[in-house]
Parts: sequence; C-alpha cells; structure tokens
Amino acid sequence: MSLSDSLPEYDSDRALVFGTVAILLGLAIAVTPVTVTIPGDLYVFFEVGILFVVYGILVLGLDLQYGHTGLVNFGHVVFFAAGAYTMAMLSAVDSFEGIALGYPWPVGLVAAVVVAGLLGALVGATSLRLRGDFLAIATLATAEIFHTLFINFTDIFGGSTGIFGVPTPLGDLAGTRDATLVTTLLVLGGLTALTFAVVARLTEAPYGRVLRAIRADELVTRSVGKSTFRYKMQAFVYGAALAGLAGAIFAMYQGAISPDFFELQVTVTIWIGMLLGGASNHRAVLGGLGIIMGLRLFSRFVQGSAPVTTGEFASIRLILVGLVLILVIRYRPAGIWGDDRELEVDS
Amino acid sequence: MGLVQNLIFGLVTGSYIAIAAIGFTLIYGIVDMINFAYGEYITVGSFIGLLSASALPLPLPIAVLVAMAGGGIASLLLAKLFFTPINHTGPIPMLLTSIGLGLVLRNAIRLVAGRNARYYDTETTTWQFQNVPDLSVGSVDLLGGFFVTSQQLVVVGCALSVFLVLHAVLTRTDVGIAMRAMSDDEALARVRGIDTQFIRNSVWVLAGMLAGLTGVLLGMQTNVSVTTGFSQILQILSAAILGGAGSPYGAIAGAYVIGVVLALSTAFLPTGMTGISSAIAFVILIAVLLVKPSGIAGQEVRKA
Amino acid sequence: MTLLDVDGLVKRFGGLLAIDDLSLSVDDGELVGVMGPNGAGKSTFFNCVSGVIHPDGGTVRFAGDNVTGVDTATLARDGLVRTFQHTRQLDTMTVRENVRLAAAKQPGERTVSALLRTDKMQKTEDEVTQRADELIEMFELTRLADEYASSLSGGQRKLLELARVLMLDPDLLLLDEPFAGVNPTLTNEIAAHIRDLNDDGMTVVVIEHELETLTELVDRLVVLQQGSLLVEGDPETVLNDERVIDAYLGS
Repeated sequence: MSLSDSLPEYDSDRALVFGTVAILLGLAIAVTPVTVTIPGDLYVFFEVGILFVVYGILVLGLDLQYGHTGLVNFGHVVFFAAGAYTMAMLSAVDSFEGIALGYPWPVGLVAAVVVAGLLGALVGATSLRLRGDFLAIATLATAEIFHTLFINFTDIFGGSTGIFGVPTPLGDLAGTRDATLVTTLLVLGGLTALTFAVVARLTEAPYGRVLRAIRADELVTRSVGKSTFRYKMQAFVYGAALAGLAGAIFAMYQGAISPDFFELQVTVTIWIGMLLGGASNHRAVLGGLGIIMGLRLFSRFVQGSAPVTTGEFASIRLILVGLVLILVIRYRPAGIWGDDRELEVDS
Repeated sequence: MGLVQNLIFGLVTGSYIAIAAIGFTLIYGIVDMINFAYGEYITVGSFIGLLSASALPLPLPIAVLVAMAGGGIASLLLAKLFFTPINHTGPIPMLLTSIGLGLVLRNAIRLVAGRNARYYDTETTTWQFQNVPDLSVGSVDLLGGFFVTSQQLVVVGCALSVFLVLHAVLTRTDVGIAMRAMSDDEALARVRGIDTQFIRNSVWVLAGMLAGLTGVLLGMQTNVSVTTGFSQILQILSAAILGGAGSPYGAIAGAYVIGVVLALSTAFLPTGMTGISSAIAFVILIAVLLVKPSGIAGQEVRKA
Repeated sequence: MTLLDVDGLVKRFGGLLAIDDLSLSVDDGELVGVMGPNGAGKSTFFNCVSGVIHPDGGTVRFAGDNVTGVDTATLARDGLVRTFQHTRQLDTMTVRENVRLAAAKQPGERTVSALLRTDKMQKTEDEVTQRADELIEMFELTRLADEYASSLSGGQRKLLELARVLMLDPDLLLLDEPFAGVNPTLTNEIAAHIRDLNDDGMTVVVIEHELETLTELVDRLVVLQQGSLLVEGDPETVLNDERVIDAYLGS
C-alpha cells in the first residue's frame, strides 16, 4: 500500500493531516535543545517562504469570496491590516507610538479574527449589493481610507512608525534566530494548511455548490430557494476573518507592524496570484501565489549582481507583475491550472 | 485662512479634477469600463508638457497642445493594445487589466524619470485682496483676506473652455451625438448604424487629450513626478461616480463638490494630517455608492 | 381552493405602466395559460408574483397568505416556483450539479454541517443525488449528467430547467415560455410532461407565444393586453373572441 493510498481521500482531510503534522513538527523543533543552523544564503528562502504562507491564508480567503462566490473584493488588505493592528494594539508592550495594551497574545489573536470579521460584515452589509466593478471600487476605497487613518492617527495606530513590542511567542520559544525561522515557517505553514482544510471542507460540501451557483447566476440561485445575500455575506466575512488571522500571526512573527505592510500592493499581489493559478481551485491559487512569490525570491537573489539599484529592480519586478496580470486576463483567464468551463468568461 | 480663500482653492482643484473626470466618465459610459490607469495618462501628459516647455523650449500654450496631442495618441495606442481586444469580456476583466496597466506604466515612468519631482517654470502674477474683513464666526473666518494667482485663473479658464467645447461637441457634432447615443444604449446605437468601435476610439482620444491637459495644469499647480496623476485617481473616480457614472455634466458637478469639500476639510481639520483629504474623497465615494449609486445626474447604474 | 390570487396589481417602469390593475386567480390543480401580444406584461406579471420585482400596487396571495413583495427565494421554498423566459442555467456547473442545487433542506448547505461533514449531510446528499438522477432520467438527460450546462442545446436547457424546478416539488409552477426556441418534437414532449405534472396534482401557469400547443394543453386561457386582463375562459372560446383577434392583429 503506497503512501498516497493511506492518505485520506478528500483534499481537506489531507490538508488537515499535513497542517497538524507541520505545526507539531515546528513546535517540536522549537523546544528541542538541538540547534538549528541555516546557511546564510538560505535565509531569504525562509523569509519569503514565511511571507508566502501568510499571504497564502489571504489568497485562500479571497478565493472563497471571488473564485467561489464571485465577489470582487479589491480591498482585501484592509482585513489583513485590521487583524494585525488589533493584535498589535491589544497585546503589544511598550510601543514607541500608538496604543499598546499588553494583553496576552491569545486574547489579541481571537480579537483580531473577530474584529476583521466584523469589519467584513460591515463592508459586506453595505456594499455587497453593488455591481461587480463598483464593489471593487468600494472595497478598494475602504482599504485606502483605513490606510490613511493608520498613517495619520499616530496616537492610536502609531502613524508611519507603527506599533512595536508585539509579542513573538514562537521566537521566544525557539530562542535562536535560525530556529525561529524554521519553527515559524513550519507552524505558520501548518496554519495555512489548516486554513486550506477549513475552506476546502466548505467548498467540498453542498455549501460550496451554493457559492458556485451564486457566482454563475445569482437570480437562478435565488429562484431555487437559496438566500443568496446570506451566503454572500458569509463568504465575505469568512474571507475577512481569515485575513484577520493572517494579520495577527504576521504581527506576532514580525514583532512590529507599520502601514507599509498594508498597501494596495498586497491586494494586487494576492489577486494576481489567484488569477494566475486559477480562481476557485484552492491548490491552484496557492500555486499561482507561489509563482509570484518565487519571482520575488528570484529577484532578491539576482538583485545583488544586477547593475541596477534596489529601487529600479523593484520597479522592474512590478512591471513584470503588472504584465503577468494583463497577460493572464487576456490569454488565460482561467489561470494556469484553472478549468475553462468552471470559469466562464462574461460576455 | 478665510472661507473665501478655501473656496478659491476648491474651485481650482475642482477645475482640474473636472477636466479629468469628464474623460474618465466618458470612458465608463461608452467603453463600459473603469480605467484605473487613467492617472498614468495624466502623468504622461504632465511629463510631455514639461519636456516640451523646458527642453525644446516651446511657449506654454503650445506645450499644452503638444501634451494634449500626446495624451490622445498614447490613450488610443494603449486602448488598441490592451483594452479593445478584450472589450467583450466585461467590466471586471477590463478593470483588472487597467490596474495591471497602471502598475506597468507607473513603474516604467519611475524607471525612466526617477522619483524626483520637477517643476514647471512659470511666471505667475498674484493679486492680493487682503483688506477684506474677516467676518469671524467662532474659529471660522467667513471672508478674510485672500489672493488669486494668474495660474489659478488659467486652470479655471481652461476648465470653462473645456466645458463649452465639450458641450458643443456633444450636441452639435455627429461624433458627439453618437457618443451620447452609445452611452445611453449601445445595442440601440449599433442598430441605428453607429460604428461603435470608431466611437470608442474617439472617446479614447478625447479622454487622452483631456488627461494630457489635466496633466499640465496639475503639474503647474503641484509638480511633475511619477505619482502626479495616480495621486488624483481616487478623487477623479469619486467625482465621476458622485456626478453619475457616465455623465460628463454630472462629472463636472461632482468634481467641484469634491474640490470644495477637500479644500474646506483641509482648512477645518487639524494640521499634520497628510492625505486625509483623499480619505475624505473616498468616504464621499462610498457614501454615494451606498445611498444613491446613480449619482447627481441620476444615470442608471447597471446593477448586477 | 384558490392557490394564487392576484388582486389589482400595478407596476410602473418610469413613465410606462406595465401592469394596470390586473386581477387574476388560479385554483388548486388548474393548468392555466397566459397569452398576449408583445408588451402585454406577461413576464412582468410573473416577475411581480415571484418576487423578482416589487409591484407598485395590489396584492398577491399564495395559499391564503399575503406574499406581495416577498423575495424569490422565500417563495420558492414555500412552493411557488418559476422558470425563466431566456433559460438561465448555471453554465459553470454540470447538469447533475444544476439539479442537485435545488434540493431543499440539505444540512450541508450550512456552515457547521459542511465543516464537520456530518453523517446527516452525507446521507441527505445521497438521497438528493438519487432524486436528481431520477429527474434527469425523466427528461432523458442522463447521458449529459456530467456535462457542463454550457454545452447543452437550447431544448436540452429547457429540460434541465424543468428538472431543476421539479427538485423543489412545487405547489405552484410558473413556466415562462417553456416552448420558446424549441423544435416541435421536443415541444410536444415538454407539453406532455407538463400535462403529466398537472395530472399528478401540480398547479401550473404557462406563459407562451406558441399558441397552438398552449391552447391544446391548458384548461383555461387568460389573455393580457397592455398590462391588464382582456379576456379569460376556455381556450376555444377565448381564441374566437373578437377582442383577442383584434389585440393580436391590431398591435
């Protein structure tokens, strides 16, 4: 009996197993007295890898909203930020600027998910009845408003400096910097896998069928007795809550946050990853995100040897990213791994 | 600062936003897409104007015309390359493509021009009116001393000219009338024999020209840099939607509302709040979308 | 017993009066046809009754309850179901998924059951699949069950729509032009299905332009013109009524 036979049949169950194993392994490494050393060249793999798994939670949430339910959310980063700032403000200790209440980190974590979910409910209740491109603009505008608020209200949000002193439980547990990176990658990666499991469970069930039906034709779905607004709200809130979770764990990894981490660019990256891989397919969107992050990784490697400045390199990378988005929409709207029939192009 | 001064600033801001909002809203009404790269069209216009005025050098009015021509050509080229081929795919793919295009253009400009701001070399005359009484109500000066610069008059003057020319085009030329017909009901327009692709191309050129003009005016008022246009895109969007998406006349009204509100808010809010005025524009935008998506002019928003 | 009772219905679109004081009732077990020239307001009537649009005046009563303005989904769950004139099917889903979607009371459509993958959900899904396959077979779509709805022909889409609505086991079925764009053989098949459903007790109201099939099919015929009721009665009498002939020729 091969390994794949002994694995559970559903994607969600496999992810559940994988995630649990990864988390346990990560924690184990943290507590063992065995030292871990990462060769200097490989640091960047871990750093980008950790960012990848955090963004992975974002893309899975966005895919639930757009890939499955058809909601065009172009402000996803605001839920990421809401989670991160809630986490930071509630549990940071001794931040230079902004609120830092010093509560234990589990409190911050739960609050982060709740606050992000509530924000999702607020945005959803007000905006989900808008036509697709208007919803995109409304969500985009919401994200920009909050971004401006974060930068300007220094006493509350820490302004451009942000909030310092966020607890770093994994780092504390692991001790050395190298061990922290390994542990963080494993544990956060495990969390991403668990997120995958949760989202996949929803979409594997008849619940997912209703979501896909809403995306295909909302009126028909209503005419067969489904309360489509309720489902749209749920998909939106779940996606937002997951983004909040990502924000909280991101804050706990960095130990500090600032508005720089929550710009429009994040939303654009997630969208491109989702569309490139193939929306509505959980594995595909992670794959697409992986390619985009891989590009980022590649550019970090090449940067040193290229005859251009860092700023110029960033611009070149962004030009490529923009072109990828344009090309995907034009030539392969279903994405690399997407199924054309599942993602019919509007005509 | 007195209310009058703020209103003047508001009218000036409203003027250049209005010019841009007209172009933006025409694209929405006739090509049926939200063009998120429009800010970059403005930036390109401001650079072309600057280069013509300083490098060649050309007198400013000629530089403006060059910028407008450049903007129109660039807009048409970009449309043929990126938007026309996917016209049939719907508003979302087109919006996403424009977001990608904006990203590409912004960074291409950054590569070529760097991050620094440049300035138009213009001579302005300032007329001071400082003897006006303050008429204070609480902490607000209802009147108060104010000044007007020749540059500001140029901006407002350009805007007014654009409005008049636009009105003439939309009501008296075949192309303009066809544009209005297409904006109302594209299928019907096609049935009546209107060459819809030709009209779309005309709109791209017109919107590009308006963006070019806005670029020069904005560049004169602030500066010319990679973010010149992008910094205004959400105000332009707000103005267009506030005015009623697709309606150029509504866009004009919406732009002045946004301009005045922005100016007044900068006056009344505590200092040191950078960018708060754009946040206010977005709040207005969201309020409009939720309360009356059809905006001032009441053009029907095609619901999902 | 009166199943559907529409009283004084009014609907305006801007300056246009689409439905003008329309009163109409349908008894339990009837098979009623609705006809009228273009612009008579037939589809608007359906839309008002089925909650797709809100009437500006009048009342709609279903099984005794006032359901004026109640939304489409609630009405569908309560037994008032409709199809659409231009078939709307879920193109990005397979035929079987299209039909299974309509199943009511599937706990797997709620978050908690879905996450926990409860036994009840799995069991219900098995039952739902069985019923869906039965309906698919009834309409002879079995070999297409795993095909995406986008690849179906016009006539097959009509059949799919019927299979889907039957999943809901409606008390009152509103069919909006079920024969539109369908070849004569299939038209007769669909008509036969409708007659069978009615014989089994389902109340059906049909809007159609295809007058020959409609008049043979229904017990009672209602003619609308410019948003109000012109004539109603048994098909033969109605068709020979001068006002009806005028309405069709004069328009």
